[in-house]
Amino acid sequence: MAEAPLNSPQKPDAFVMTPERLRRQRIAKFLGEGFLLVVASFVAIVVLFIFYFVAVDAIPFFQQRGFGEFFTSTGWYPADEPGEFGALAIMYGSGMVTIGSALIAVPLGIAAAICLSDVLPFAVRQYAKPVIEMLAAIPSVAYGFFALVIFAPLLQNYGGPLLMWTWWLIAGPFVFLAVIVVSDLVTSGSQSTDTRKTIRWTVTVVFGVIALFFLYYVGRTLNEIQILSGTNALNVSLILSFMALPTIVSVSEDSLQAVGRELREGSYALGATRAETIVKTVLPAASSGILAAVILGIMRAIGETMVVWMASGNSSHIPEPWFNYLDSIRTLTATIAGDMGEADQVTGSARYHVLFAMGLLLLIISFVSNLVSERIVVRQRKVLAGE
Amino acid sequence: MDLGTRKILDRSFTAVGITSILLMAAALLVVIVPIFSGGIGAIFFKGTIEHRKLQYNEFGNGDKEVMQRQIEETNAYRSRVFAMLGEFDAELESMEPAESKALRSSYKKVREALAHLFGPLPGDPEPILTRYQYGTTRWEQAEEALHDLMYVSKWDYSDPTQMAKQYFVPRTDDFKGTKLAALFPYMEENLVNMMLPEQTFYWGFITDRSLDSHIFGGIWAEIQGTFFLAVGAMLFAFPLGVTAAIYFTEYAKDNIFTSILRSANSTLAGVPSIVFGLFGLAFFINTIKVSESKSVIAGSLTLAIMILPTIIRAAEEAILAVPKTYKEASLSLGSTKWRTIVTVILPAALPGIITGGIISLGRAAGETAPIIFTAAVSVGATIGLADVFSSPTPALSWNIYNLASEHEAANEIRHVQYGMVLALISIVLLLNLSAILLRARISKKLKG
Repeated sequence: MAEAPLNSPQKPDAFVMTPERLRRQRIAKFLGEGFLLVVASFVAIVVLFIFYFVAVDAIPFFQQRGFGEFFTSTGWYPADEPGEFGALAIMYGSGMVTIGSALIAVPLGIAAAICLSDVLPFAVRQYAKPVIEMLAAIPSVAYGFFALVIFAPLLQNYGGPLLMWTWWLIAGPFVFLAVIVVSDLVTSGSQSTDTRKTIRWTVTVVFGVIALFFLYYVGRTLNEIQILSGTNALNVSLILSFMALPTIVSVSEDSLQAVGRELREGSYALGATRAETIVKTVLPAASSGILAAVILGIMRAIGETMVVWMASGNSSHIPEPWFNYLDSIRTLTATIAGDMGEADQVTGSARYHVLFAMGLLLLIISFVSNLVSERIVVRQRKVLAGE
Repeated sequence: MDLGTRKILDRSFTAVGITSILLMAAALLVVIVPIFSGGIGAIFFKGTIEHRKLQYNEFGNGDKEVMQRQIEETNAYRSRVFAMLGEFDAELESMEPAESKALRSSYKKVREALAHLFGPLPGDPEPILTRYQYGTTRWEQAEEALHDLMYVSKWDYSDPTQMAKQYFVPRTDDFKGTKLAALFPYMEENLVNMMLPEQTFYWGFITDRSLDSHIFGGIWAEIQGTFFLAVGAMLFAFPLGVTAAIYFTEYAKDNIFTSILRSANSTLAGVPSIVFGLFGLAFFINTIKVSESKSVIAGSLTLAIMILPTIIRAAEEAILAVPKTYKEASLSLGSTKWRTIVTVILPAALPGIITGGIISLGRAAGETAPIIFTAAVSVGATIGLADVFSSPTPALSWNIYNLASEHEAANEIRHVQYGMVLALISIVLLLNLSAILLRARISKKLKG
């Protein structure tokens, strides 16, 4: 701000409010606020326009072909005459990668959010935040390139060993933790301390050996898997989970932070450990906010185009068996992106409109889940405020 | 449960949390490190004499005399090869038809590999495409070409339970006893003399135009296109977003209308990016016809809509972060609300607003899906500022996709793809880094 010179010549009537001036000021205020309102409503208008223009191009498809084929058939042959437009397998592919990425990103994201909000000291948190921001900032096409050029060949050539090592590294610690807890629960009786200790050691060792065999057996099975094509649902799910993580972490961290100190302190005062406090007190209180975070994260995975287009294999069929993540799939977004190039030439055909129908479907899904997550957040805020 | 078990559970809980954060950092590294190391290879590599020839002929770079001398030096070695080919041609003519037929296909492969290494061989017709006018410009590609020349690749199908295995047979076996047999050891020994690899720093990768759809040359057209698209989007979205944020923070009353507007904002933020592309095609191009077909302006408008919610949110947060006392002081001095906003609140919130703007700029630069149908073309020259209303442009994000999955020689131009990804990631991460630094400065300043 520039400082006004003190001795600047002022007009004598500068601060006198004549009726004329008041009127002018009121009109200016009215017009100004009106202008601001129009600009602010611009977003709402844009949302309406998006719905309208996507729907206008989507409806002719349903008029021509009806609803049945689109939602129930798995045959996708848009280039044929008269053509078949069954999008069931494509929707299934979208659902599959979304669930796959959620399975990876949700536990990881929530654990990271808890760690950020309750475990790490403030100084370390300062360094973790930019990592999350950078993960969110990397363009989707760069992730797609990574998935296609670097990760897919790796998966194709070393798929089995890769799966085995992942299994050992992730399942191993959890299985042994489960062994310790289970043997504790099994042996918690009223015997004297010495006998109980002996029994517990025996039980732990027995369970431990069983667990080791289990880990080894599954690991060996995984090791023998041959992945025929690196561009598959597993690859895409993993990369999409990287992309959904930042959203999940930051939104659930906000919601964990919103749970006040009082609840935590009450729980500590009753003698709970930090883990027990978080799992039994903080998480239930923040659960709705975390749910909202999960919904938003999943939305990123459903709506993502480039990664699935480049690395999913783009074959529209339901994998055999249905949970086979090592098979190629095709998603709604990739179909829109991939088929428009050819369909654009024949604007007005079912082939063109079916892509808008898919867009409308995506739009409705995103709209509904946004509304739901917003509702949830508002409700949680009210509950925590004690209303 | 025992206290001991509870303690173990508590520790492992902490360990899980920390591991998950480390995993995220690891994921970031796993993605970024190969892209960086691969991308550096586009600029810093061992360039052969063919690279220098190409640079001099097409872009006028380099020292002519040194190049001339090196060309003569390599030609001295290459002429032996050409002489051997000539002798073998004569020998082939004099052979029995059955005998020569068996050799012909393998000989064709030899000629192809040599043409790939050296450019057109003597006797070949002058090629039209630039990619056939020069040999391999990069040393590692020259080594691959040599391997293709020296060995025949075969597949082993003997074990039906396993996938077929590739193995290599020396090509000399085909030509035993002919005059061409001497070629193979000669090539292996003298490849360096024939190609003269030198450590090259090819800065032009960023500033040169591309030649023959990215087989040679640089990526300037893409960088410029990305710049036009992202800056164009900001020109539309930034003023709109900041104005809307002023309305939401200072003027909006707490009623149903405002909450609808806010819902609209978060809905827009959640719309999948490909749907923006569909909308851009249906509205900007097919309905109001901002341009005949794809154009920079249509792409910019589509991107502007996409980044609008981010800008509004960031600006709102920045305005709300301005201490209330500033506003109260200004109002108590008798200035009007509007004046307070313009002269007190906005200047104080400006760094925060700009931070949001920078992050949105990065997002607009990196997005692909909205520009597929509205602005991007695979191959194209740089466009002038006057063309933004009528012509489409290549852009980094789109061309990465295009070169990696649709280019006819995708495997041979991996270095160009890596270079493009590196350029895009560098742009986006530098923007984000500056935003992070800017924000750190603001929070320091607000703390006092």
